[in-house]
Amino acid sequence: MIVKVLLTVWMGVVIAAAFLYAESAAGFPGETSRILFFHVPQAWVATLSFLLSMIASCIFLARRRVKADHLALAAAEMGLLFCILATASGSIFARATWGSFWNWDPRETSIVILLMIYGAYFALRSAVPDAEKRRVFAGVFSILAFVTVPFLVFVVPRITASLHPENTMNPAKPGMDPKTLKVFLGSLIAYTGLFVWMLRLKIRLLRLEGSRDPEIVEGEME
Amino acid sequence: MKNGSWITQTGSSTYLSEATAIWLRDLRGEFRTRYAVNAILMFAVTTLVAVSFSIGSFRIGEAEQPFLYAVLLWIILVFSALSGLSRSFVKEEEAGTMDVLKLSARPQAVFLGKLWFNLTLLGALELIVVPSFILLMNYEIKHPGLFTAMVITGGFGLGAGTTIVAAMIAQASARGALFSVLSFPLLLPLMITAIKGCEKAAVGMNGTGWPEVRIAVAYSTVMIIMSLFLFPLIWDE
Repeated sequence: MIVKVLLTVWMGVVIAAAFLYAESAAGFPGETSRILFFHVPQAWVATLSFLLSMIASCIFLARRRVKADHLALAAAEMGLLFCILATASGSIFARATWGSFWNWDPRETSIVILLMIYGAYFALRSAVPDAEKRRVFAGVFSILAFVTVPFLVFVVPRITASLHPENTMNPAKPGMDPKTLKVFLGSLIAYTGLFVWMLRLKIRLLRLEGSRDPEIVEGEME
Repeated sequence: MKNGSWITQTGSSTYLSEATAIWLRDLRGEFRTRYAVNAILMFAVTTLVAVSFSIGSFRIGEAEQPFLYAVLLWIILVFSALSGLSRSFVKEEEAGTMDVLKLSARPQAVFLGKLWFNLTLLGALELIVVPSFILLMNYEIKHPGLFTAMVITGGFGLGAGTTIVAAMIAQASARGALFSVLSFPLLLPLMITAIKGCEKAAVGMNGTGWPEVRIAVAYSTVMIIMSLFLFPLIWDE
């Protein structure tokens, strides 16, 4: 409960600071550079949850604990949600700065493939009637999809030659305004906290749904 | 079949002999019913005719041809393969022979046998589609060696990436649509690579070391090794 309140306050402070405290970076039309505080954390959370889902799938296949599958499913759902948010917010930024909503920039390409992989993941889950089989298949597909992703690095032409702004927007490189950096890190924490909170809610929901299903209860009792 | 007994035969069988037995059995079944071959080839021929008829061989300008023809060729190949490759496992499920197969061979051997069968189908598909495409579209290829290598390794990757998916969807509902939905994101890196390789071959950019062919080989190897690891999990369920 206290976590929820803290998170709400923190998120509110970050949003206010993003618009009032931080200064908009030079070289971007109007106030568009403020997207940094929302788009980048969204993309970060999307990546984090995909990785988490794959690891949970591996654990499930090795140990066959229903808990691990719940984590994999919940993380995949969160990943899809934040992936869509990042795509939408990025697309608006692209329209404002590069002139078109969609440009097949290397990162746009890779995010579309991620969206397709997770679309397929949920299609597979909904098509397998048997609960145990569904979990195993979803785990296997998750690993297979993860293995093909590195090939995109070779395939997408020069993945580093992106339209994405680097020097002023990448906190790992010098050139970021200290105020911007502060708000950015705050936002990163806020989004990660939001992700963890939503993830736990989703897992609780899955567990409650599962307890109605006699098949799953057996797996839960250990 | 020493002593005319099956038991001694299976008792001393290896992965390779089991896989070969499954491959030959599937081939024999395919010669009798011709279901998968008919589905895949007719799909391919229909698409090929549609593309050739609607575009013709002079519609696309000289400069654009190498790239656009490579795109069209690979779209035809990938979607024809997706229309029928799932048969290898779906037919076991439909005929109710899945359980017998599980008893009579080890999972990895089943996977290899099915993989070879799918690769045989893909070979037949490419043997018919690629020459017809070149003839119908007047596709000029400056470097036939690279082109052939790309088509062969690309086809190999198609089989390597989809066989394990076929095993999964055979046990799911809504099989037909699901096979394409699951396979396509896995095949996308391979498809983009193959298109680029064929474009280079058509332009005559020989380059050094044929990077696209090497990526396709690496992709196939990774997918086969991962499938050998993961296949027993979905097979023993």
